[in-house]
Amino acid sequence: MESTGRIGLHAKRPLIGKTLVASAGVALVAVGVAAGAGNALAQEGVRVEVEPSALALEVGDKAQVVARVVDAGGNLVDVPVLFVASPRGGLAVDRSTGEVEALKGGQYQVVARARVQGGGRPSASVAVTVAFPPLDRIEISERSGRFYVGATVRHKAQVIDQAEDVRDVEVTWSTSDESVATVDRFGYFTAHGTGGVVLSAQAEGVSAELRYRVVENPVAEIEVAYWKGPRPSGTLESRPGEVHRTGDVLHFVASPRDAAGAEVDDMPVAYALEADPDAIATGDFPPAEVDDQGRFVAYKPGVYTVTASVPGHSARETVEVLPRHVAEEVELVGQGEVHNVSTSDLWVWEGVDGRDYAVTGTHSGHGSIYWWDVTDPASPVLTDSLVVDARTTNDVKVSEDGELCVISREGASNRRNGIVIVDCSDPRNVEIVSTYDDQLTGGVHNLFVYEDHVYAVNNGVRFDVINIEDPTAPHRVGRFQLDAPGPRIHDIWIVNGVAYTSNWGDGVAVIDVGGGGRGGSPSNPVEMARFRDIGGRTHAAFPYLSPTGRFYIFMGDEIGRPGFDGQEAGRTPEFMAGYIHVVDFTDPEQPEEVARYEIPEAGSHNMWIEDDRLYAAFYNGGLRVLDISGELKGNLYHQGREIAVYKSYDPDGVVANAPFTWGPQMHKGNLFFAEYFSGLWAVKLQPRRTLVP
Amino acid sequence: MRRSPGAAVAVAAVLSLASALAASSGFAAAQSYWVYVAAESEDEVSLLRYDAGGDLVVEKTISTGWLPAEIEAPHGVFVDPTGEYWYLTLGHGFPNGQLVKYETGSDEVVGVAELGLFPATIAVPPDGAVALAVNANFHGDHVPSTVSIVDLATMEPVADVPTCTMPHGSRFSADGSKHYSACMMDNQLVEIDGASLKVVRRLDLVRNAPAPEPMDDHMAMAPPDGHCSPTWATPHPDGRRVFVPCNRGDAILEVDLESWRVVRRFEAPGAPYNLDVTPDGAKLLATLKGSAQFGVWDLATGERLHLLDSTMRVTHGVVATPDGRYAVVTVEGIGGDPGTVEVIDLEAGERVASAAIGKQAGGIALWKMEGP
Repeated sequence: MESTGRIGLHAKRPLIGKTLVASAGVALVAVGVAAGAGNALAQEGVRVEVEPSALALEVGDKAQVVARVVDAGGNLVDVPVLFVASPRGGLAVDRSTGEVEALKGGQYQVVARARVQGGGRPSASVAVTVAFPPLDRIEISERSGRFYVGATVRHKAQVIDQAEDVRDVEVTWSTSDESVATVDRFGYFTAHGTGGVVLSAQAEGVSAELRYRVVENPVAEIEVAYWKGPRPSGTLESRPGEVHRTGDVLHFVASPRDAAGAEVDDMPVAYALEADPDAIATGDFPPAEVDDQGRFVAYKPGVYTVTASVPGHSARETVEVLPRHVAEEVELVGQGEVHNVSTSDLWVWEGVDGRDYAVTGTHSGHGSIYWWDVTDPASPVLTDSLVVDARTTNDVKVSEDGELCVISREGASNRRNGIVIVDCSDPRNVEIVSTYDDQLTGGVHNLFVYEDHVYAVNNGVRFDVINIEDPTAPHRVGRFQLDAPGPRIHDIWIVNGVAYTSNWGDGVAVIDVGGGGRGGSPSNPVEMARFRDIGGRTHAAFPYLSPTGRFYIFMGDEIGRPGFDGQEAGRTPEFMAGYIHVVDFTDPEQPEEVARYEIPEAGSHNMWIEDDRLYAAFYNGGLRVLDISGELKGNLYHQGREIAVYKSYDPDGVVANAPFTWGPQMHKGNLFFAEYFSGLWAVKLQPRRTLVP
Repeated sequence: MRRSPGAAVAVAAVLSLASALAASSGFAAAQSYWVYVAAESEDEVSLLRYDAGGDLVVEKTISTGWLPAEIEAPHGVFVDPTGEYWYLTLGHGFPNGQLVKYETGSDEVVGVAELGLFPATIAVPPDGAVALAVNANFHGDHVPSTVSIVDLATMEPVADVPTCTMPHGSRFSADGSKHYSACMMDNQLVEIDGASLKVVRRLDLVRNAPAPEPMDDHMAMAPPDGHCSPTWATPHPDGRRVFVPCNRGDAILEVDLESWRVVRRFEAPGAPYNLDVTPDGAKLLATLKGSAQFGVWDLATGERLHLLDSTMRVTHGVVATPDGRYAVVTVEGIGGDPGTVEVIDLEAGERVASAAIGKQAGGIALWKMEGP
């Protein structure tokens, strides 16, 4: 066994005040590596000793951690040592030699673990401090320019170091002349007198400045008006007689003017809300909100006053908000019972014979697919079925001409999976035309059929585009994978030649596949835009061009039960979480998440939008129908927009009386939906009946 | 008595002796064995107990994964050498799969680590310090993948070691000094040093010659029939050889570790898939996935001792009991078939018990053997 008394230090620069010297007789870790084979069996009192006990490094430095393994008697034990650094990303450590390289500032530890058989896993750790790189700059949220006496605006500072990392360090604010303007520790900048003034933000030797020219406040009067829906042209005027409902978005716009009547359009305006809701309980959520752009929405009926303020002047406008009153009744129309296996997705279409049909997939079962005649939705008739080599046929889609059904496969016995193309022109006699599985081995979870092409989501990372003009000879013509670290994709939906993909943490991507005007085609998909919503668990996305002219993308989360990693999985019932994010994509260069639909007891799954109504499956939360008319803002759940909630209970279901709604589709006035535990359902919405005494 | 898989040669020898004594004194019937089996298309792991001479009983079913509405594909299972924990790979993630650490007995999750794309088999050396999980990447392009190394005390990922294309099937040598894995798409057997945890050498199983490191992003073509497409690697307890099934070559290869060459070939029609060797080193066990069979070979003579048809299709995993008396075999089934676990008496060459579990029974690990 080799030993030495001195350890080489490989730092680019000497460590401050440290020279790493091991005592005579220390067994270098290299000894353990050389010993390699043959771990010692566990011995009583085996421990690991490390040197040094702590390291202070700068980014780029290298250093050596040395470990030796000794028994209770102090004798060296000849076993390998594993070196592990945590948390990840800040240190590179050679797992067998213990050489450390500092990559990023922060506090870390290197654990040296003896590879001793029989348990115990003795280890010792070295605390490593990597100095953060010097700060590089501060970026302030506002811009230099004109400012008005009496005005206050909050400024925010972002501190960035030389590694381009944003750093959480204290920022000190100051002004060059406090008789002109002052600033508090939160960055609120207030002008008191005229003149030039410099606003400074400083942190650890770096600073940033904004130069303001403070002038007298010219505002002589202020008016406030509001509008709803598309912005009217010409002068804004409030319309006192207009009826407003909970959930309606009102745009309050202030017009500060000088003595000559000219608008002072760069005067900061603050909007405030005075609420007098019809009813509220202690601790209830706020009855309404107004944002810094004057956008207002009410959650509860009542009387609300929005005040627009500039220094020395304010104006107010009061509106009455009435209940939305959109609730309707749900009438059960019919059920196509599936009690032997869980049901997955559905598609409903008008067949080539003019009758209406539905196809439903199955989940975690035996690879079956069911076809139904739903011309009379009160009595769905099972017309045919197939069993393919799969456990899950998660997605089912139908070509625009109604002749081809395409089935996704997961869990095939040969692990090749892919898709199955079925002639369903006669749903009483469906026949497999072909299968396609080349490089779709991980399983196809979702797909979309659009203009003779199948867009198949290959589990995990990309979608493949498969030409089915000749369905007997499907062939790949393109594929698309997001340019992102660890790209991931779950679903795809196509409207007018534009694909909307749902990509978990990467959000939604808008991709030109022929209709986006960016040169895209099935063989050459071109990304147009991308948006990551708050939370980043995008499972499904549905685009919707609202009659208001706004273009929304509804992005649904999928978040599983928390019990799995909470130590009590066995005692935690399965349920889903997450909600639907509403993103205003009217300006694709500036998408904005404006609203959400979140229900407390369940998470979102698939959805369908038609005629200003969102039909959404919420697993154990059932089928939800939401009024999405007008502009959208805030949490839609609390705005009285819910038209209907329907939970389908089936005592003979795979799990009895357990709603677990998978996906909806509106077809010819009937709302069809797939229930995971009980098959295909159809309901109809009816006006709410009122009691007549 | 409490044993776990991966026992050292010395331990195996003791067990073998104990087994012989027990058999001769009539105690064998009192032995009980526990195995964990993953049901990949059910998102479940079942704990089964076999009482020698009795029934195979499902003692417990443990659901896995985060999303009830998605199949997350539990694939590889391994029991910690201490017997205190067991480990599971989840193939489907976002997109990376995960290594989940459970406590045996309570079967509660005590740690999670992120792995690569569709991790398959797990191997843990006798010291229990790390887990090596092969990232099979079934759903990606056929480009070189990695073996993920996880520190099992902290569940911190330590490194991703590039190996070859679609690695699947891996085991440590009995003393933990070497780790072997095989790659289905470029016919490589890869040796990783157990101490440094770095690739030491590669063997092209078709050319029977040392193999180069695959080029980054180089697309491997699926081996045509008649080639190898190795799906497993099992070292012999003597530390001198490794056995590799050629899933598309209908053969099992014996690789001599000193010469680093294929030195013997066992004909194994039926697409051999997973292997194990009895702790005494006498018998080679193989599932034959394509023919839904299970085979046993005498390693001294090369003679095939037994060939059994499974009751279901698509045989998958196999593990020998520590006393070498039984093999426990998993069978995937097709479509809606239940997964099946079968117990084979290796002396008699007979199936002595079976039990149905969740769909696509695959990864299997022996937890413990108890008895007089």
